[in-house]
Amino acid sequence: MSDVAISARRLSPGTKAALGIFARYGTIIGLLAMIVTFSILSPAAFPTVGNFTNVLNQASLAMIIAGGLTLAVVVGELDLSIGFAASLHGILITGFVVHDKLPIPLGVVIVIALGAVIGLVNGFIVTKIKVNSVIATLGVGTILTGLAFAYSAGVPIVAGVPEAFLQLSLGRWLFGIPNNIIVMILVLGGLWVLVERTPLGQEIQAVGGNAVAARLAGVNVDRIKILGFVISGMCAALTGILLASRLGSGTASAADSYLLTAFAAVFLGSATLRDGEFHVLGTLVGALIIAFGFNGLNIFGAPTFSQYVLQGAILIIAVGMASLGRSLAER
Amino acid sequence: MAAAFTRGAPQPGGAEMTVPLLVARDIAKAFGGTQALKGVSLDIAPGEIHGLVGANGAGKSTFIRILAGLNHPDAGRIELDGRRQEIGTPQRATELGMSFIHQELAFVPGMTVLQNIMLGVPKKTRFGLTDWRAIARDVAPIAGRVGISAPLNASVKGLSTAEIWLINICRALVRKARLIVMDEPTASLAAGEAERLFAIVRDLSASGVSVLYISHRLDEILNLCTRVSVFRDGRSVAELAGDALHRPALVEAIVGGAIRDTQRTATARARGGVVLEAKNLTRVPKVRGVSLELHAGEVLGIGGLVGAGRTELARLLFGADRPDSGEMALMGRPYTPSSPAAAVQVGLGLVPEERRAEALFLSKSIAFNLSIANLDRVAFGRYLPLMNRRARTSMAGEMIRALSIKARNASTPVGRLSGGNQQKVAIGRWLQRIPKVLILDEPTRGVDIGARTEIHRLIRQQAEAGMAVLVISSEPDELPELCDRVLVMAEGRIVRELTGLAMSRKAIVEASYVEP
Repeated sequence: MSDVAISARRLSPGTKAALGIFARYGTIIGLLAMIVTFSILSPAAFPTVGNFTNVLNQASLAMIIAGGLTLAVVVGELDLSIGFAASLHGILITGFVVHDKLPIPLGVVIVIALGAVIGLVNGFIVTKIKVNSVIATLGVGTILTGLAFAYSAGVPIVAGVPEAFLQLSLGRWLFGIPNNIIVMILVLGGLWVLVERTPLGQEIQAVGGNAVAARLAGVNVDRIKILGFVISGMCAALTGILLASRLGSGTASAADSYLLTAFAAVFLGSATLRDGEFHVLGTLVGALIIAFGFNGLNIFGAPTFSQYVLQGAILIIAVGMASLGRSLAER
Repeated sequence: MAAAFTRGAPQPGGAEMTVPLLVARDIAKAFGGTQALKGVSLDIAPGEIHGLVGANGAGKSTFIRILAGLNHPDAGRIELDGRRQEIGTPQRATELGMSFIHQELAFVPGMTVLQNIMLGVPKKTRFGLTDWRAIARDVAPIAGRVGISAPLNASVKGLSTAEIWLINICRALVRKARLIVMDEPTASLAAGEAERLFAIVRDLSASGVSVLYISHRLDEILNLCTRVSVFRDGRSVAELAGDALHRPALVEAIVGGAIRDTQRTATARARGGVVLEAKNLTRVPKVRGVSLELHAGEVLGIGGLVGAGRTELARLLFGADRPDSGEMALMGRPYTPSSPAAAVQVGLGLVPEERRAEALFLSKSIAFNLSIANLDRVAFGRYLPLMNRRARTSMAGEMIRALSIKARNASTPVGRLSGGNQQKVAIGRWLQRIPKVLILDEPTRGVDIGARTEIHRLIRQQAEAGMAVLVISSEPDELPELCDRVLVMAEGRIVRELTGLAMSRKAIVEASYVEP
């Protein structure tokens, strides 16, 4: 970061202003440019209500888990357990519904509560035992993967998944909008209000901004950090449930790859509108960029490997832009 | 040391005959829309200790950054030894013989003294490997000259700020610096350590090294410097030397005519009952058996050397650390705060020593920074936990007016404010709550004279309104000026209580050195 900071100082004011605009609005400009380009290149397949709904529907699960991760990074921690946790939650909900014949709503509530417990454990290890969050959540995530294999004995739960469970994610509601999208809007909307428009959200931002100052201003820093992990854990659980419903099965490691997608969305989001700060709206924009990017690649029949290349590249570019934004904001 | 406070000997005769080491003429620099420097000029003779003073925002830092090659001037010229130079990069500044010792000292905690001295310095090698033995042989005499007492191969862990400062000086000398720029060198040192520093500065000067000495502490400037340049609003407004160099002239040049009275008038006031009481408070190694009583309506000062345990005592009172033993009482009831949050709940406030690191959220707005300790006041209600943004803005607006914080509006990021205005935000955060006890740790450090006066007035006002105020300061002049009573701490204990006329700079400094 300091290298960027030093090089930014040498630039002329005009270049700096232009770079500043790019760092703040670059992601949104990029998103729009991508949509326009794909629309021109593939006018029949890309710019349709059906395709857009499909993209959003596909992206909703990633947006929910990324929204949760946003809360963890806003309080200044990382949560690497979310992908593994979502996989475990997917197996658990399928098991509860198929084997234990639990009513679906009860199963959902129990699994989300378990997500909160995992967040609590992460938060406790990080704040009370003072283990670095990368290590703590990587460790917890690995344990969760083990539990997922233990519960399913390594065999996906496929048979006997009731139709009602599939409808959780396949169903549509108001005006025929897919449930996934409605849940995503409710979750991200709720998180945005929490962070941006409540006194508790002020404390959350304070802890992320300067934990030492927050503590000396009378904020209970540990409690806020634990809250960040709990919300992250609950969102991971919700994504795990919806993914199991969409796949119609509970499979160990089904949701693992959401970890990278969520990180890419969150860091891309931190380069949006604010200079390198994490925020919910930014995460939404970041997730949309990834979703439309993949959709475009699919429409043009790009090979699978290119999706991984794109996602990795996006993550690096996003972090680069966020750090550029921060260094420009210093002056 | 007795001679340390006498005026330094005049420069070797004929400084005006030699070519100045450094000449800066009409340097200008703008950042975006703000003209940080409108035209400053200054020259430094070989071996001269040249003072540089000015209020915050006068352009001192920008000027130094230009000398250091970190910023490029928009206009003006810089000469070294009579030759015009484009400095351009920090490497070039070093090659030209300039060294910079910033307020935040550069050092790596895990390394040895020698490794720290050689940080960034090209090193002798033998068979392609760094030849530490040869380096140590070369460095040892220089380290001895500046008075580094720790062995070169010892870790810097646990060394005092003063010793770290010496390491920085030593690094400058190893690089054969001919001009050392010192930015607020005594800001984090206590009186005794400062005097050792002055002796070294004079020694450097005598050996022909020039020093550009930047400080808010005018006494130091008057003691050390033969010539002083004053910056105001991005211009050099005065260069004082000889008989023209005295405190009133400096103050007038800094403030620009509008000198404000900093002397206290009312002293005889009845204080209220005991609000906060500590008995045998101990947290080894820094706080050992401290007992004190803080009354309503009084400003109680805590003086002493840096490292005497004053900040640590404040942290105990505020619940930021837990005592090993001892008792506290608030309004006569046992008081055992488990966290700062708990202390805030029962009516305490702390303005910490390091405002940028410990008090402020620099990228956030003034409104955010002011409201963070008053969130119950910006919610719509207990059952509607949404933030009333209008209430927050108007609350911040009131504070900005009441404390005359200079900012465009309440949504200005605090990081863009000057030091004094930042400090007002850090204090203002608590005033909304009207705490029973307000603790201020170094409330005017790095703050210009105007803001300092305003902050002092503000502190007095709070006390007169009945608040119990505890002020920690390392500036010996500040406490007698501000406080009703002063306790002096040394090595973790309270060694003296001073009241009334007994409160003097001299008494505080003397007590600071009492063997406990």
